[in-house]
Parts: sequence; C-alpha cells; structure tokens
Amino acid sequence: MPLDTSTYSLALLRLDGRRWNELRRIHAQISTQAAADGSSYLEMGNTKVICTVAGPAEGRTGGAARGGAGSEAKIEVEIGFAGFSGVDRKRRGRGDKRTAEMCHTLQTAFSSLLLTHLYPHSTISISIHILSQDGSVLAASINAATIALIDAGIPMSDYLVACTAASSPTTADDEVSDPLLDLNGLEEQELPFLTVGTVGGSERVSVLVMETRVRMERVEGMLAVGVQGCKRVKEILDGVVREYGKRAVR
Amino acid sequence: MTSLKRSFASDSSAPNLSNKVYVRSTKSGKVQKIVRELYLRQDIPCSSNLCSKCAQIAPTDYNNKVAPFVLSDTPAGTKAFPNGHYLVPDTNAFLTGMDLFEVETAFYDVIVLQIVLEEVKNRSLPLYHRLINLTKNEDKRFFVFFNEFRLETYVARDHGESINDRNDKAVRKAVQWYGEHLQEAVRARGKSLRCPSIVMISDDKENLRKAKAEKVPALSLSEYVSGLKDADLLLDMISAGREQRENKSGKGELFYPEYFSLSKMLTGVKAGTMHQGIFNVSPYNYLEGTVHVPAFDKSLLVLGRENSNRAVSGDVVVVEVLPKDQWKAPSTKIIEEETLNKNDNADAEDGETIVSERERRALQEEVKRVHGQSVEGRPQPTARVVGIIKRNWRQYVGHVDKDSVRSSSKSSRSQQTVFLVPMDKRIPKIRVRTRQAGELLGKRVLVTIDSWDRDSRYPVGHFVRSLGELESKGAETEALLLEFDVQYRPFPKTVLDCLPAEGHDWKVPKSLEDPGWKGRKDLRDLLVCSIDPPGCVDIDDALHARPLPNGNFEVGVHIADVSHFVKPNNAMDKEASMRGTTVYLVDKRIDMLPMLLGTDLCSLKPYVERYAFSVLWEITPEAEIISSQFTKSVIRSREAFSYEQAQIRIDDKSQNDDLTTGMRTLLLLSKKLRQQRMDAGALNLASPEVKVQTESETSDPVDVQTKKLLDTNSLVEEFMLLANISVAGKIYEAFPQTALLRRHAAPPKTNFEELGNQLKVKRGMEIRTESSKALADSLDTCVDAKEPFFNTLVRIMATRCMMSAEYFCSGTQAYPEFRHYGLASEIYTHFTSPIRRYADLEAHRQLAAAIDYEQLDPSLHSKAKLEAVCKNINVRHRNAQMAGRASIEYYVGQALKGRIIEEEGFVMKIFSNGFVVFVPRFGIESLIRLRDLGTPEPESEFDSENYVLNVTGSRNVKVELFQKVKVRISDEQEKSTGKRKIRLALL
Repeated sequence: MPLDTSTYSLALLRLDGRRWNELRRIHAQISTQAAADGSSYLEMGNTKVICTVAGPAEGRTGGAARGGAGSEAKIEVEIGFAGFSGVDRKRRGRGDKRTAEMCHTLQTAFSSLLLTHLYPHSTISISIHILSQDGSVLAASINAATIALIDAGIPMSDYLVACTAASSPTTADDEVSDPLLDLNGLEEQELPFLTVGTVGGSERVSVLVMETRVRMERVEGMLAVGVQGCKRVKEILDGVVREYGKRAVR
Repeated sequence: MTSLKRSFASDSSAPNLSNKVYVRSTKSGKVQKIVRELYLRQDIPCSSNLCSKCAQIAPTDYNNKVAPFVLSDTPAGTKAFPNGHYLVPDTNAFLTGMDLFEVETAFYDVIVLQIVLEEVKNRSLPLYHRLINLTKNEDKRFFVFFNEFRLETYVARDHGESINDRNDKAVRKAVQWYGEHLQEAVRARGKSLRCPSIVMISDDKENLRKAKAEKVPALSLSEYVSGLKDADLLLDMISAGREQRENKSGKGELFYPEYFSLSKMLTGVKAGTMHQGIFNVSPYNYLEGTVHVPAFDKSLLVLGRENSNRAVSGDVVVVEVLPKDQWKAPSTKIIEEETLNKNDNADAEDGETIVSERERRALQEEVKRVHGQSVEGRPQPTARVVGIIKRNWRQYVGHVDKDSVRSSSKSSRSQQTVFLVPMDKRIPKIRVRTRQAGELLGKRVLVTIDSWDRDSRYPVGHFVRSLGELESKGAETEALLLEFDVQYRPFPKTVLDCLPAEGHDWKVPKSLEDPGWKGRKDLRDLLVCSIDPPGCVDIDDALHARPLPNGNFEVGVHIADVSHFVKPNNAMDKEASMRGTTVYLVDKRIDMLPMLLGTDLCSLKPYVERYAFSVLWEITPEAEIISSQFTKSVIRSREAFSYEQAQIRIDDKSQNDDLTTGMRTLLLLSKKLRQQRMDAGALNLASPEVKVQTESETSDPVDVQTKKLLDTNSLVEEFMLLANISVAGKIYEAFPQTALLRRHAAPPKTNFEELGNQLKVKRGMEIRTESSKALADSLDTCVDAKEPFFNTLVRIMATRCMMSAEYFCSGTQAYPEFRHYGLASEIYTHFTSPIRRYADLEAHRQLAAAIDYEQLDPSLHSKAKLEAVCKNINVRHRNAQMAGRASIEYYVGQALKGRIIEEEGFVMKIFSNGFVVFVPRFGIESLIRLRDLGTPEPESEFDSENYVLNVTGSRNVKVELFQKVKVRISDEQEKSTGKRKIRLALL
C-alpha cells in the first residue's frame, strides 16, 4: 500500500515529489506525421497524446450538412483512447459518453478560437489519440490540438492552453488546504479537481470543466493556480513552436 | 497572485526525473503494473534546528507559510552518544516496538523515513495511524523525511536485488546523508555546537551487519533500549514475536496446521467452499467458538483448539465446513481454561502437545454424548478455521498467573516467561516474557498479543504497563475502561479551545438582534420542566403541554441545542465523534463532551435561559397527532424534577397550578401513546436492572437495589420516542440517502428455537415469532400464576434472543429494513440526548438543515463518511453498555463482600455439569458447577430433551429449567480473572 495524498501535509510534497505549484515535465514535438496537414506529440508527465489535423478541406460527401454550414468552417473532433493507455487493458467504445463530452469541449473551445469565417463550407478535423493516461488527459488533448493546429497553419487568435488544479485534502486539525497544480492519475482519483483552459496565457478562461465536488471557498484558489499554470504551459508551448519555426526557416 | 517561478529553477530535461515501477494485484486477482513518475529534488529540508542552510530552502505552502523545523538542536543523548542523537528506525523497529516509541520518557527526535512509513503502512494500518499520530505530536519531535524524493538519498534498485534489500539500502543511505549534512551544518554554524549522531535502529541482523561495514552507526532496538535509564521497564515492551522466532527456528514441533494462502482462501470463499466471518468464543466454554456466515442460518460451530487454529475471539476468519459425520452439537458442558490447564508451564515448550490430555478427555466425553443421543441430538454444522483475514487483537487487561512465575522475589531481574490471564475469559492465556515478574504479581496489567506461531500453544505478547493493585478501585475502573476501549483521558487542549470563551458566564444574548437569535423562536413563556433521574446534571430534555382553544393540546419536547456549540469538524466534534457516547459507570461518568457544555451551557437547567431544539405537536385528547413542527428555540425551564418528585407533584391533589396540570396532561397523553404503541406490537422486554447504593463520602458500595419504575419514567420515555420518530421521518424526507437512523432488525426465527422449545417442554407454553405483535402477545401469555417473576424471567431470556439495534445511514438499506422491531415503528432515530450520544448530535445537524436553519456540513452529505460514523458509534454504544454492566457487576461484588445472604433464584440454563441461576434481587446470574455441590464431584445424568439434571452421589438433587431454587450468596475472588465475583451455592 503506497502512501496516498493525505501525507501531503507532512512535508508539503506530493505523491511524485512535486510541490503544490509545480507542473510535470512537458515535452512537445510538432510535425510528427508528415502525411497530416498538422500534427503534434505531447507529453505531460506520463500522459502521452498524439494529435493530427486534417483540413481545412471541403466537406466530405453528403451535402451541405456534412461540411461547414454557411460562412464558417466546421470543426470536428475525434478522440481515441488506445487500449493500452491505462493500467488495465480496456477498450472504450465509440459511444463512450465521457469521450463524447471531451470532444464537445474541444470542439466548442476551438470553434470560437479559430478564425473559421476564413474557410466557408469546409471542415477542419482534429483527431487525438491518447497513448498513455496519467491524469490531466483533457488538458493534454487541448494543448496538443493547439500546437497541431498551429502546425497546420490555421489562423487562430491565440494559443489555447490548459492544465488541471486540485485541492489538497485537509487534515483533521487545520482547515487550510493548498491548491495543487497539474495532477497525475493517482491524484485525480483521490482529489477534487478542475481543468481550466485560457486563451494565450492571459486570464481569459475559455474552458472550465469540473466533475467532482469541492467546497465553494476552495474553488478560487484552485482557479488562480490553474490560470497561473496555463501561463507557464503557454510559455513552454510557445518555446517549442518558435524552436520549430527557427529550424524550418533555416 | 502567488508566483510559480520557483518550480522551474531546475529545468525540465534535467536528470532529476526518475520512474517508480511496481506491480500490484487487485482484489479480483488481476495483476497491474503501475508506473509513476518521481521528481527528485534538493529542497527537502533536514528539519533540524541546527541547520541554517535548510532553513533557507524550506518550502512554503500556498499561503507562504513555512512549516517549523522539528528536530531539536540539543537532542538527548545516551552513554554511547554523549553528543545527543537523532534516531532513524527502520520498518521492523516500528513494527516490533511501537509501544516503545510512544513512551513519554524516551525516544525523542526521531526521523521517520518515507520508505519506512510506506512499509509500515503496507504491513499494518493501525501501526501506521499510530505513527502518523506521533508525527503530529509536537512534544515527541518526530519528523517525516521524504528520502525517496531527495536527489542525494534516492537509491535505485539494482538488478536482481530484492525490494527489502533495496529499502534497507535506502535507509542506510539516508542515515549517512543526514550524518554528513549535519556535520556540515554544525561546521558552518561555528565550533560551540555539539554535532548529534544519527543512529539507525534496526532489528534486521543483515541490515545491521551491512551498516557496520559501511560505518553507519546502527543498533538493534534492544541494544539501544538497554542503554536508556529505565531499561528494564522498556525492554519488556519490545514485541516478543521476532526474537522468539530467531531463537527457536529449526527446533520445536508444530502444534497447529498451517493457514491457507490468502488467494486460496479468497477463491474458496468466492466459490462457496469456504466461509468468512467473525470468530466468537462461547463465554462458558473456551474451546467452543462460533462463526456466523451468511450461507448458514445457524452459526457454524468450531470445536477444540486444533479446529480454532490460533483464532482469537473477534478475529475475522475463513472456515471450512467439516464433513457431516464430524458435526457436533453445541456443548452442554462448562469448560474453563483454568481448571484444565492450570499446570501448564509457561517456559516449557518441548513437552506440550497441542491438545492437553485433559482437554482431550473433556472433548471426548462431549462427542460420546452426542453420538449416544437420538437423531434429534441436533448436531450443527461444524467447521475448522483455515486462515485469518484480519486479526482484531487489541490490548488486553489481565493479571499474571501466580503459578507460572518461577521466582517471585521482587529483586530478581532475570527474564522469565509468565502467563498472563486476561480478564475476558474468551481470550486465551498470553505468554509474556518479563524481567519484572515479581513486581507484576497481584497487579492489573495491560498487554498486547504480538504473534501466535504454529509452534506455540499460546499466543505470545508483551507487557505494556501496569494499572495498579488488583481490586483497587482505580485500577479496576481503568481496567474496565481499557477492556471496553473507552476513551477516558482528559480532553486535550485543542478540544477545550473550541469552548465558548465566556466559560460558565455564557448566557443567551439579551438582544433579539444577536446572530444567536437568528431563526430561533422565543419560547421563554412556556411552562417547561424537565424530569430526570435524581442527581442528573446533564439534562438533555424538557417538556411542556398546554391546552389549545380548540380542545387539543400543544405538546413540546425541548432538547438541548448542542449543535449550536459543537460545530462540525472542529477538534471537539472529532473527539466527540470518536468517543461516540458518554459512558456511565457506577461511580464515574466519562463524558462525550467537556463538562462546561454537558453540565452547564447545554444542560437545560431550571430557572435559566437556554438554547434548545424543540419539537412541537398538536395532539388531540385521544393522543392523535394533528401536526408537528420543528424549530430552534430559547426556553427557560421552570423546574427540574426527579422522577419521584414529579410523581409526587402529579399525585398531590392540592396542587393545581398550570405547570402541574401540564404535567398531568402529559401523563395522560403518554399513557394513551403507550397503549397505541403496545397495540401496534411494541415489545415490553426486561433486563435485570439494579442500582448500587454507595456511601456518599467514600463512594464505597453499601447496598444493591432493583430499580423502581414509576409512571413518570414512562411519561418521559413516551415523548422521547415520539420525538425521535417524528424527527426520523423529517430527516429521511429531507435526506433520503444520508439520514442517520436507527433500526432494529427482526430476530431470525432460529434465535427463538431454543427458548421456544424450553417453554414448550417445561411449561407447555408457546412463543410465536411471526411478528413483533405476535411475540408481544405470546410473551404476555407466559405467566405462571404461582410465580409472578416467571414472566419477567421469560422476558429477560427473550431479550437475549433479540438482535441488537444499530445506527445506519438511510441510503444503505431499503425502506422496509428501517423498521425498529422492538418499538414497532417504521422509522426511528436518536434525537433526544445530544449531550451524551453523538448520533443525536448528527441528527440535530440534519434536522437543522432540513428546516433550512443552516447549511448541512459536507461530511453529512457523504454516505461513506456517515457509514464510518455509524460503524464507530455502534461499537462505542455497545462497549459503553458492556462497560456499564461490568461496572455494576464489580460494585455488586464489592457491596456483597464478606456477606452471606440467602436468596431465591431461578434456573436459567442447564449444562451437563452445572447450571446457571439468576437471582432477581441483585440482578445477578452465576454458574453452579457440579463440583460445587459436593465432594467428591457427584455423578449426574443430563436429560437434554427435558432440560433436567439428575444429580446423584454425594448429593442427591434434581434440577430443572425454570425451577425456583434457594441459593446462598457469598463472594469470592475468581482466580481466572482476578475479579471479585459472586458465588452461589445451592441450598
């Protein structure tokens, strides 16, 4: 029986040795799949995500209904969990509600972020594959999609970056609890957490998802730390993009 | 906004990332491989006050607070370490010596390594919690060092290295690092300071050897302790298990069969070939245990030492049912350990066989008897224990068996093995090694069981502490509290800090604008009074009744508003939830809440204003409820009556003031309510209740009386029941998933089989158990015209066939299961005694939320948390009852000390070599064995079908069940438990 999150208060160290305000190691690559219009590979700790973007392209057969209706491009998102991505080998079917909700979150977020009016009657499809899950899967998907879209050269107003934040468990005698940044899988199972996405590392929140219950008064701290975390993520992703750009120009 | 800058001081691709890979298997038997990241860092402080460098890198939390450093700059030392030392125990040191670490005279400045904490948690959760509590104790200065996350102390597992070896290596590495780090720190601070040594404590020989080789200071636990001041005392507290195992490995025969492997048991239980349940030992026969499993109606029988295979009463065991030809009937014989095995030598290990010759004979007689019987001899499914899922060993109170002590001179310091005889007869003797045998003789002592190996006939334990002389009031009371796990230490400061600052001067605020008045009804004008037992100081409840213009009555029950003072989740609430209930002993009360609240601020004392939680009904003169209403309120009780005073006032025709007429109304209504309840099938059960009269000054017991019941007793009871039922309905309506309720399950038919059969055979009476109504009616018919007490006797015996009522969380049961069988109510909870029961306090909070007075605390929303609370208070409740009974038993014994009285009694139970007699006058029951009847032990013939015991030989009597007998009561000190006990002799 390994230790659990309740030992955080003993030395202010989390299960994997991080402090409350530390992100996990983020590693990102752009243009990993030559055949796709845009692609990326992103690791946040042991969460590994691959993302490809196709389009903007004419809508597939089936008439106007399939392509973007009217003057804007339509965005399609598809998320697939690899059978080997979790601890147990498990297949998630197509009809999985959780996956559908994640797709929907990404789709609405990017619909307002991308300059879709430039591509009437066309479709941009984003497909994401989760290769390994260790917490913050939604956040990783958003980040990976952002840089893949940049790789595809689709105009957008700014980066959309996301990360998670939780509230550490309170011990018996004190009421204070620290907000924790960027959860791994184990912490996600034990703690109440939210996923927050901001535009361009500013304080403009465009994605906020929370499925667990938490005390009202803790949300503010969690959100503040999440937004700060997003700023850091933006810097890292921006660095990756610029590095890639430099190499491409050279 | 807090900055996040620091997190990237060490960059991402750095070598500070490692992985931890391990394999675990789930409950369902799947094997999972888990990979976790590990971030290694250099900013984990050493937490020594000597070190100034670490003080700079100490981490801050979200609010920029830094945890204070724990380890003292001038730690205590021993002869070997004159400069003082920090201790670094490894896992087995904690496992074998947790009692030592909790001692208040030694073991300060201890560094608990993360890896050790993790391993302790793995091996034993209770020990882990005790360790965590130690780290929170500021005086003990225990510090948890996360060695796995510090770059310098992280150790990778070599190829082919076992996990244990790797962990030992990590411990040594941490010790080494600490040593070097501290020397550096001291050097940086200047020369005047002593540099404490870092000492590793381990009981693992291999680890110690390697430590010597690496020049890491290391000692075994006993080596270290022998260097301390009260070494003798402390040495006894080291767990015996390990050392003994080392001594004996290789030799010695094995007495018990080996346990099955866990996976084999789990598969067996799943497949239905084995069964899991709690092992209970019969109080009359220590060789007979029962295990209740869901698959069988009747409990499975476990007979004999070999079959019970080292299970101790209370353990969760897995059993296997024996083939049908080995089934036996439950014994009808009293077998006591002391009489069979009194000559066992605690030291001798070689000569003993698992079943001693006498035990075997006793069992054989049993078997013969079973086989000789007709087919209806009712052999029961019999089983044997094949493994233990969970040991429920606790600390046991007992005394040292005088005969097992080799040399009883107090000065002897040689170590010897003695037997400790637990007070609880169901627990086997415990073998304890001690150097202070002489001093412990005649004392009440506390011990724990460490292990029970296959090669040892008795469990092995170690001494924890001595409570005092046998039969001294202090020691006996403490023993009792320990035995029933009652938390009796004074309230800690953190709890007292939660009390209102005004102390006894606290008053209901004058101004109605005060926040305390918000949502409260002003009921100060009502003529409220309380009725309680004489001398009661914690007054939970008060009542009033007044006529309404429409001819109906308004009746109110007002309960102390404890939830106003005890807010959820503060230290006081935690303590109360742990204690669960106030425990009443004959001469002592162990409170659930601090005195200030219980006896003053919450207590609904007369003539002063108090906060209350009121239930108000409109009731017709025929006792039909028209409406009910719940509100927080302020009341002023006009008078606090005792039951007797109230009765006198009601009966006194000359008193006709409003208060008295109100009380008369209440009495009238209560009688009607009671009738309604009885018609619905409520049971009127009896349990022997006696009261011990004590001398006011010395509180020495002088006499025993059975409690008298007055009309006013049932007056209060009826309205409390009504309030509880009304509240239960309300909170269930508001929180269908999480209401805290109380249920009383219908007893299974089989429980009454025996009693029903006894009544049929002896008296031709019948007990029907289809419903509580049928049972209540049939109990009413069990009357013996010549013997008025007979009915009560039957009721007492029926009570013992019942299930016990329990608290539960409404989401865990289906509605029909909510039923309270004894009260014949569909739904029930406890609401009326929040001062002395935690369940009531929770019900208050739920009710307050249900009437929108305040928000419900999240802990009361969570089914899981409530279930945990229920589980705890159920146990506490039962323990409190048993402690109370044991206390009465002890005082009855003391009151009768040195006296010889002749009294009437009734035979309650018959064995083949003895019978149990109940004496109503003192509420005592006791065993009379054949050998007590005369010497030599008379012959007997036991007719189990007719419940008759024919005694012939040195004494000729015929004893029948339910027979009225004359007995002589005297007292004696029972040898096996050291208790003063009543002894009965047949006249």
